[in-house]
Amino acid sequence: MFRAALLQLLHDRGALLLSLFVPAVFFLIFAEIFATAASDEVQVHVALVDEVRSADSISLLAALQREATVTIVPGVTDRATALDLVRRGTADVALIVRADGEALADAAGLAAPPLLILVDPSRSVAATVLSGQLQRAYFSALPDLAVGRVAELIGTEFTEFSAEQQAEIDSGLAGLRDSAGAGQRGGWSFEELLDRENVVGQTAALNHIAYYAGAVAFMFLMFASAQNAVGILDDQAAGILDRIAAGPGGIIVVLNGRFMFLVLQGMVQNTVIFCVAWLLYGVDVPGNFGAWLLISFCAAVLAAGLGLLLVTACRTRAQAQILPTVVILIMSAIGGSMVPRFFMPEWLQTVGWITPNTWVLEAYSGLFWRGETLQALLPGCAGLFLTGMLALAISYLLARRLVQR
Amino acid sequence: MPAALSTEALVVVQSAVRRFGSRAALSGASLSACRGEILVLLGPNGAGKSTLLRALCGRTRLDSGSIRIAGGDPAERAVRRRIGFVPQSIALWTQLSVRHNLELFGRLAGLKRAQLATAVADTLDWTGLAARANDPVASLSGGMQRRINIAAGTLHRPELLLLDEPTVGLDPVARSEVHQVLDRLRRSGMSLIMTTHDLVEAEALADRVALMSAGAIRAQDSLAQLIGRLFGSDQEVVLMLAAEPAPAIRDALRAARLSPTNEAQVWIGRLGSGLEQLPELRTQLISAGADIAELRIRQPGLHGVYIELTGQVPQE
Repeated sequence: MFRAALLQLLHDRGALLLSLFVPAVFFLIFAEIFATAASDEVQVHVALVDEVRSADSISLLAALQREATVTIVPGVTDRATALDLVRRGTADVALIVRADGEALADAAGLAAPPLLILVDPSRSVAATVLSGQLQRAYFSALPDLAVGRVAELIGTEFTEFSAEQQAEIDSGLAGLRDSAGAGQRGGWSFEELLDRENVVGQTAALNHIAYYAGAVAFMFLMFASAQNAVGILDDQAAGILDRIAAGPGGIIVVLNGRFMFLVLQGMVQNTVIFCVAWLLYGVDVPGNFGAWLLISFCAAVLAAGLGLLLVTACRTRAQAQILPTVVILIMSAIGGSMVPRFFMPEWLQTVGWITPNTWVLEAYSGLFWRGETLQALLPGCAGLFLTGMLALAISYLLARRLVQR
Repeated sequence: MPAALSTEALVVVQSAVRRFGSRAALSGASLSACRGEILVLLGPNGAGKSTLLRALCGRTRLDSGSIRIAGGDPAERAVRRRIGFVPQSIALWTQLSVRHNLELFGRLAGLKRAQLATAVADTLDWTGLAARANDPVASLSGGMQRRINIAAGTLHRPELLLLDEPTVGLDPVARSEVHQVLDRLRRSGMSLIMTTHDLVEAEALADRVALMSAGAIRAQDSLAQLIGRLFGSDQEVVLMLAAEPAPAIRDALRAARLSPTNEAQVWIGRLGSGLEQLPELRTQLISAGADIAELRIRQPGLHGVYIELTGQVPQE
């Protein structure tokens, strides 16, 4: 039986593919993702804007740029551009030395802090990393300011250094130590220099839910499309395709009928998933209904076309049960349907653009995450729709093989 | 069989050639079929019958030659509306009801909603399945499934119905039911072109038979005409041996112009019109060592015609 099982596996290329090739590819993808996510050397892409251009700000930013873990996104000159880059994900975070805040040298917490970090809630870790690097740069580039602020702190908190005052200093330091131990802020902190602002109105959790709604929806749209499209091969085996192909409409009737059904099925699936996201988690589907409907329709067209293409590319039912599964699993892993794209290394994010999952996720993210307008979403939606129709057209050609023997 | 066939040709195939790589599935096949007749296509496997059927319903383009159905090219949509096709397998959605299948295939054949209800009701009536209309096809007997399989190709009242081995795998009762259905369709004025390997069925149903081999039609005519042309006044001799013949005896049987059949102990041949040659043949066979169980003569039939024209023993 061992030999029989081995021979069967060797003769079944599909099973061989699923049992050996796919696990290896999955391992590679996830190893890359988690090696990056768990690495000590996180690279933070920062959009820098210096609205003040004082000697202090120039020194500070120069020191920050020397930090090994900071990569400066080039070509950023104003706050609006920086905000846009963070929204698009080109920059992880933006740092603004702002003109509408206090000066770096004498910030006293009386107005807006001199430094502003713009961050996407999904990448809040990037803001934390930048904050740490910024602190190091501050103390290395502007030590006089740092010490001055300590002296100011002493001047304001501890006046003269007599024996009696020394006792007060000791008492004050002990108090600061106690406060720090109790988790309370005491005295001056570097954080007073910093302000932090989310680039979108929603919370990180809500953004993640909107992301996953799109991610899960499209992956299952693809699976459901391919699964249903396999019915074409069942019809072929039963002779139904032969009968229909001899009729006035020919084989195109079969594909068009399936395609329309799959689009409708995809719309229903999208509706169910986003209704859950709206009703249970508050993702604002009603407030973005028109754009959501457009994206969902185009995503359903894309999934329907690709499902038909994957199945008509197969010659047997056995192939059609393996090939689409393999392709959809790999596309979903690379394209961000399983692990969010922003957890992936940059090269994998770039590779992800070849997958339709990424296109659909970017469209949904544009709407629910970055708050893009319907007009801004139109080119992406047109891409989804046209690719779906192209896949349908190719499946017309491939399906002719099914009835021409 | 109808008393008189229409002589108007509904189907005209001229010198049809279709190649698949270096293999010619059709190598100059010519055929005609009249309105209101059953034409049975016979021939060994690989003779080109299925390719010819596909070409007739516009699914295979010819490399050369032509096909005209009611004067038009079957590749045209309007011409395909005049054709019905019944595949060899039960080409139905077996988990759906009989009615749903008929409605779906009616729509696919181009029937409008108003025509559909009448067509489905008529079909359920003449197939005798009105009482089972709402049952899943899978729950019907093999014969009932075959009837629905044929009926699904006739909802749009085609002028020409093409059937690929419509009775394969059926028991005699179910086969008889299908024959009745086919006869009814012929009497309604429909032309039927069907393939079969069953010569008894062909003899029972065919107004004319067409014998194919190597991609060409070797002859087509009524069975009586073919027998008259091929056998004249000759008769067919049937030899049944008591045991399977040894190679030396098989050579001797062939030398006596007998041909093997699908049963190793049954051989057939032809003799002149009288009975004079029979004792001579018997002596020749006995001296060759043949253990004769039965030796008889009969009027030639399709079996003999088939062997004469294709050079092969029919598969039955």
